[in-house]
Amino acid sequence: MLAEAQRNWPRFSAIRKTSTFRLAVMFGGAAVLAVLLVLAMVYSLTASNLDTRVDLILRAEMARLQALPESDLPAAVEASARAGANPLGHFGLISPGGRWVAGDLGASPPLRLGRTYAREDGPDVRGPLHILAQRTPNGAILMVGRDSTVITELRNNVLAILLASGLVVVPLLLGAGLALSLGPLRRVDRLQRVAGKIAAGRLDARMPVDGRGDELDLLADTVNQMVGEVERSMAQVRSVTDAIAHDLRTPLTRVRNQLYRAARAPQLPPAEARRIEAAIEDLDTVLARFAALLRISDLEAGHRRSGFAPTRIDELVAVVIDLYAPLAEEREVTLAAGDLPAATLLCDGQLMVEALSNLVDNAIKFSPIGGTVMVTIAQANDETVITVADEGPGIPPEQVAAVVRRFDRGAASPAVPGSGLGLSVVAAIAHLHQFALELRPARTDPARPGLRAQIRASTKNPK
Amino acid sequence: MARILVIEDDPDTAAEIVAELAGHGHDVRAVGDGGAGVELALREPFDAITLDRMLPELDGLSVVARLRAAGLTLPVLMISALGDVDERIAGLRAGGDDYLIKPFAPDEMAMRVEVLLRRQRQMAASTAMLVAGPVEMDLIRREVRVGGEAVRLLHMEFRLLEFLMRNAGETVARQIIFERVWGYYFDPGANLIAVHIARLRKKIDLPGRPSLIETVKGEGYRFDAG
Repeated sequence: MLAEAQRNWPRFSAIRKTSTFRLAVMFGGAAVLAVLLVLAMVYSLTASNLDTRVDLILRAEMARLQALPESDLPAAVEASARAGANPLGHFGLISPGGRWVAGDLGASPPLRLGRTYAREDGPDVRGPLHILAQRTPNGAILMVGRDSTVITELRNNVLAILLASGLVVVPLLLGAGLALSLGPLRRVDRLQRVAGKIAAGRLDARMPVDGRGDELDLLADTVNQMVGEVERSMAQVRSVTDAIAHDLRTPLTRVRNQLYRAARAPQLPPAEARRIEAAIEDLDTVLARFAALLRISDLEAGHRRSGFAPTRIDELVAVVIDLYAPLAEEREVTLAAGDLPAATLLCDGQLMVEALSNLVDNAIKFSPIGGTVMVTIAQANDETVITVADEGPGIPPEQVAAVVRRFDRGAASPAVPGSGLGLSVVAAIAHLHQFALELRPARTDPARPGLRAQIRASTKNPK
Repeated sequence: MARILVIEDDPDTAAEIVAELAGHGHDVRAVGDGGAGVELALREPFDAITLDRMLPELDGLSVVARLRAAGLTLPVLMISALGDVDERIAGLRAGGDDYLIKPFAPDEMAMRVEVLLRRQRQMAASTAMLVAGPVEMDLIRREVRVGGEAVRLLHMEFRLLEFLMRNAGETVARQIIFERVWGYYFDPGANLIAVHIARLRKKIDLPGRPSLIETVKGEGYRFDAG
């Protein structure tokens, strides 16, 4: 179960490449940027407004004090600076010589004259201040300050909001991107699996359509229509082939039978008899091919199910090995049974022996002298896999789909006898059982990759 | 010579079967429908029947079922245009002894009838020992002696030799050998049976003497003890 869940769970590297994930992150990023800009504007406008208001207040206070006689300034400054008169206000008077005269603001640097400036902290007053300092007519420095804690708090709050937003929004954004990508990615995965089956020659397979009408459904619909057309075309070709095979069987059999009688005519010269026998042999070959073609059609039609029964597949494998051992020995090929655990499949024993015989026959035929053909059975994950592996030239991946088609021998040497129907029969039998036939290289040696022919039977839902 | 009943509604096919079987020295009667076939088979003694699967009114499956229900054990070769392998199974399950698909080669048809006839005769004799020339086969102890010397045969080699000896003197096609000895109904290819025959020859043939199993080119194999 865990392994299956892990297999079904897409990897993050796959997710982050999806257009859904990228779009989600892109749109989320843009939204975050927009929010940041709005917050920055709010902060900037509010801070600027507060600065302006403080400046106006400071200038008003400065104007009030500057309007007083110079001699009254120390007392006025002292009175203004006293707590309670103006809780946010701070005042100071510095003599022309730079000595503190009155108020709660000292002459702490930096001291900028003529315009309002901000001071974070100082030895006289704790906390942030906005200060306006001007010289009096006799050269003293009059300072008017105002607590700017509100502005600083506003800035800090906005920054805190930005930081918190980032901490919350970024994981949310990634999470949303992941969540939004999983569905499409799983659908793409399903589509890929079906595409793989179609590429392997399963033209009856169809892309899953979820009925949402989105772009994946449209794509799946289009591919299904294409595959349907290809299937129909191939079925027509098969149908024509079958019709030819069927219609020619009777007249060819009659010709064969007439030749058979002619060959037994009394006083027939031996040379003529040999020629007729040769013609009969050729006709028998043609009739056998036609019979095989019609048999494949019969199997592909999928009607034959009366022979289906729970069958010990390991015993059938043993029968086939016993059957082909002398042939392998004659060709100096080792036919070996690997691991053959007891395995029961719901299948037609006659047909499975035929399929396995074809695979073993092919493996022996294409094996080099001294080569080994190994037959094994493996069971795992509700699946039984029967493998016939050889050390022959193998089948290039691009020809795998072709070699299971009728009469297609791939790149097989013309010197190797065969009709090009063996693997078609195996594929038809596998198809009838709803088993999968897989043909892959058996070895990593590129010069002689061999062939690993596998019949994979799902035992989870026996048909 | 055996008496054979041909139940076939197609006159051309019936004539072909009759001609071929008569050519093999048999006494052949033909009828065109299932009901008449059952009536004749119950009334007169026959050694074997060739029976068309698709007959008007009473079809081949019903015919063979009625014959078996009436206690007739004679061998029946069913002949059918229905190539579907399920049909073969249905024919054999209904009581047929062998099944041949149309269009067929008359020599193969005759060969199958001969095999059925010989099997029937041997069943009647219920022999425990087969002897042909230098070969003695003890069917109970499953032992084989050639020229008095014991020969060890594998299980399928024993069955192959038994089948060939039971049909000694007659040619049997490799397809029939494959069906009767191994019990499978697909074409195994020419080489497969040939190598099994070759292995058997190595075990039973006497040095300096012609092989006991003769290859009949284009037809099959014949056990010939001389």
